Amino acid sequence: MISELGFLFLTIVFLVSSLSSFELLMNKNYPKDYSFCQRKLSNVLFFLTLTCFTCLTISFINSDFSLNVVSKNSNSQLPVIYKFTGVWGNHEGSILLWLLVMTFFGFLFSKSSLASTNFKNDVLKIQNTLCFLIVSFILFTSNPFEKTFPPPVEGADLNPLLQDPGLAIHPPFLYLGYVGFSIIYSISVAGLSYKNKSLFIKILRPWVFMSWIFLTCGIGLGSWWAYYELGWGGFWFWDPVENASLLPWLTASALLHTIVIADKKGLLINWTIILSILTFILSLLGTFLVRSGVLVSVHAFASDPTRGVYILLLLASISAFGVVKYLRNHQMIASQPRIHLVSREGMISLNNIFMLSLTFTVLLGTIYPLFSSVIFNSKISVGAPFFNSILMPVMFPFVFGMIMGPYVRWGKDDLIKLLGRLKILLFALFLISFTIWYVNYDDPVLAIIFIILGIWIIVSSLFEVIQYKKGKAKISSLPNKMIAQVFAHIGIGLLIIGATGSSILKKEKIQFQEIGEIIKVNKFNVQFQGVKKVEGPNYISQMGIFKIFIKDKEISILKPEKRFYNSGNQVTTEAAIYSTLLGDLYIAIGDIHQNKTKWTTRIWYNPYTIWIWVGVLFLTIGGSFSFFNSLRKKR
Amino acid sequence: MKQKNKRLFILSLSIILFATGSIILFTNLRENLIFFYSPSEIIEKNIEPNQKIRVGGMVKEKSLKKKIIDVDGRSLEEISFIVTDFNEEIKISYVGILPDLFKEGQGVVVEGIVENNGMFVAKYVLAKHDENYMPPEIKNIKSIRDKKNDI
Repeated sequence: MISELGFLFLTIVFLVSSLSSFELLMNKNYPKDYSFCQRKLSNVLFFLTLTCFTCLTISFINSDFSLNVVSKNSNSQLPVIYKFTGVWGNHEGSILLWLLVMTFFGFLFSKSSLASTNFKNDVLKIQNTLCFLIVSFILFTSNPFEKTFPPPVEGADLNPLLQDPGLAIHPPFLYLGYVGFSIIYSISVAGLSYKNKSLFIKILRPWVFMSWIFLTCGIGLGSWWAYYELGWGGFWFWDPVENASLLPWLTASALLHTIVIADKKGLLINWTIILSILTFILSLLGTFLVRSGVLVSVHAFASDPTRGVYILLLLASISAFGVVKYLRNHQMIASQPRIHLVSREGMISLNNIFMLSLTFTVLLGTIYPLFSSVIFNSKISVGAPFFNSILMPVMFPFVFGMIMGPYVRWGKDDLIKLLGRLKILLFALFLISFTIWYVNYDDPVLAIIFIILGIWIIVSSLFEVIQYKKGKAKISSLPNKMIAQVFAHIGIGLLIIGATGSSILKKEKIQFQEIGEIIKVNKFNVQFQGVKKVEGPNYISQMGIFKIFIKDKEISILKPEKRFYNSGNQVTTEAAIYSTLLGDLYIAIGDIHQNKTKWTTRIWYNPYTIWIWVGVLFLTIGGSFSFFNSLRKKR
Repeated sequence: MKQKNKRLFILSLSIILFATGSIILFTNLRENLIFFYSPSEIIEKNIEPNQKIRVGGMVKEKSLKKKIIDVDGRSLEEISFIVTDFNEEIKISYVGILPDLFKEGQGVVVEGIVENNGMFVAKYVLAKHDENYMPPEIKNIKSIRDKKNDI
């Protein structure tokens, strides 16, 4: 009953949103008297989609196995929380969540205080049309309310890997980011024919920061989940799907630097619009890659080629619309003041060049296998070595830019004078690098270099605060913009350190470990105590018990598990992690040896890994400061 | 005129930079490509030893064997199994923990090198997230087999 209601609402969403797309398509030929109030339409769309989503959620919680998605992705034994998160643990439900987020952003925008009613109408017309495209995709290729007949007695269960709190929250965050770019796209395309460009930038700004914050969180949560759930001891695998989320993140990061200039100086406005459109196209491309199954990826859901074709059409039409609109309506501003290289604007432009080169690199590495399989008919994959070999050298100029950038003045600055101002900082950096090199003398050179780079960023960002404080006494008088930038840059520095530690400096030991045997990894002595059987709500687990000693002092007990799920015979590995500020001890347990007294154990020491998550947190905090700053400015 | 020259200079400079960048990018890409082969293709194409490749196919039923070996005084488990595309097969050896979804009679992709004796030494056995998911490569192989069965 409830599922029929859900389907009914979905159909109404389709009909209502088609009104907007019709109006958009007719453009000037549309009779003015019959024009709908797009703000009201967007509110209607949001509440309808919300009801529709609630219906699906109720079906999941009531285990209504007459629905195809529910019977395939849920089970009556499943804990309620995973019945709930199972709603987006499958293709159909996750696209419905996508639509919900999209209409939600339309709804939020209709409440925005800054834009004029006319402009809101223009933006929401585009946003509602985007909703129309997605809802027709749902209706025609991936209807979550599809029935199976006869309904099975028991569902097939949610993929056990997805039965985890980390996974439960990462898709909604990721989507809030991905789909947030849809409203940026709508604002930018509508803004092309908007006269008051400086107001347009002010309207756009908070949305850019908001989506960026969510995407950052989403990527961070996703890699955190991969780190502790997949039992591979790593957090980033350069998998096509991870790359797909990185692409819009890179262009969005470029965008949030550019928009600062656009807001302050009125420069690079066209470029801001291009970046906005590009970012949304890249997030759609990501969806296409994930959902069409064209790429070999561990993330791909069991896929269906018609969906791929539909998303490709969607991608093509949305990109074409953006590009055509841009070519028709962009206004060349006749006498743009030139941007000097040695100036804040110049440094931010350099940042954009780097970000876009990285985007291009990641894009190439991600879709090249696709091209080669279509054109040369050879099946290949591009692995981590490619990305690392490009990323590592690019990191150097990037970090130098990050260190110098915030100290360079707006307008025009002088390189010699700049270096003069930074005497103390440069000297401090030199001393610090020397010390780090001396202390970590035995580590690989590359690791030392990257850790030094990371620390440089942190120190120079902190130095900014010190220098500012010298001028004015109070620390509370720091401008929000500066706090945001300092936090975000420190975040990047921490990320570099964490990533270096957990990749280059990682130590791994695989062995048969007898009960009572001690394996030494770094400073930790890991003693295997045996394995016990533990029963979970819908699985049976083999739980290994490991006592961790430093010298002779017991500091912790770790319990990695191997879980056997009652339905579907699936097995998952739950790693156990002991985190310290200097590094994580990470244990996964494997199979039993034939003679029943030994088990395969896999023990990693991942230095500095915790700083990756702290870094992501810093990025988010930085983003939030910018976000609230841009909100406050409005009034 | 001077302004024009300057613009020309900047334009050519950026083209040169872009070209160098692209060349570096593509050479790097070339060096780091990992080719994917089915067992038949490996035998057909005479893959050079010590070249990193991926092999995909089905894990042959009852081919999974485990053996204890000694490396630097630590005892390790060497796993071996046969990957087949129902035409040819290749023996894989691997030291490590198999992914949770590894099963006999199911699809698998492994990455590693072919040694001189024809043994494939795997560095990674690739895991999947979803037991119903199958890499497109294996799907293709499977479809070839299905066609063969029809004839």
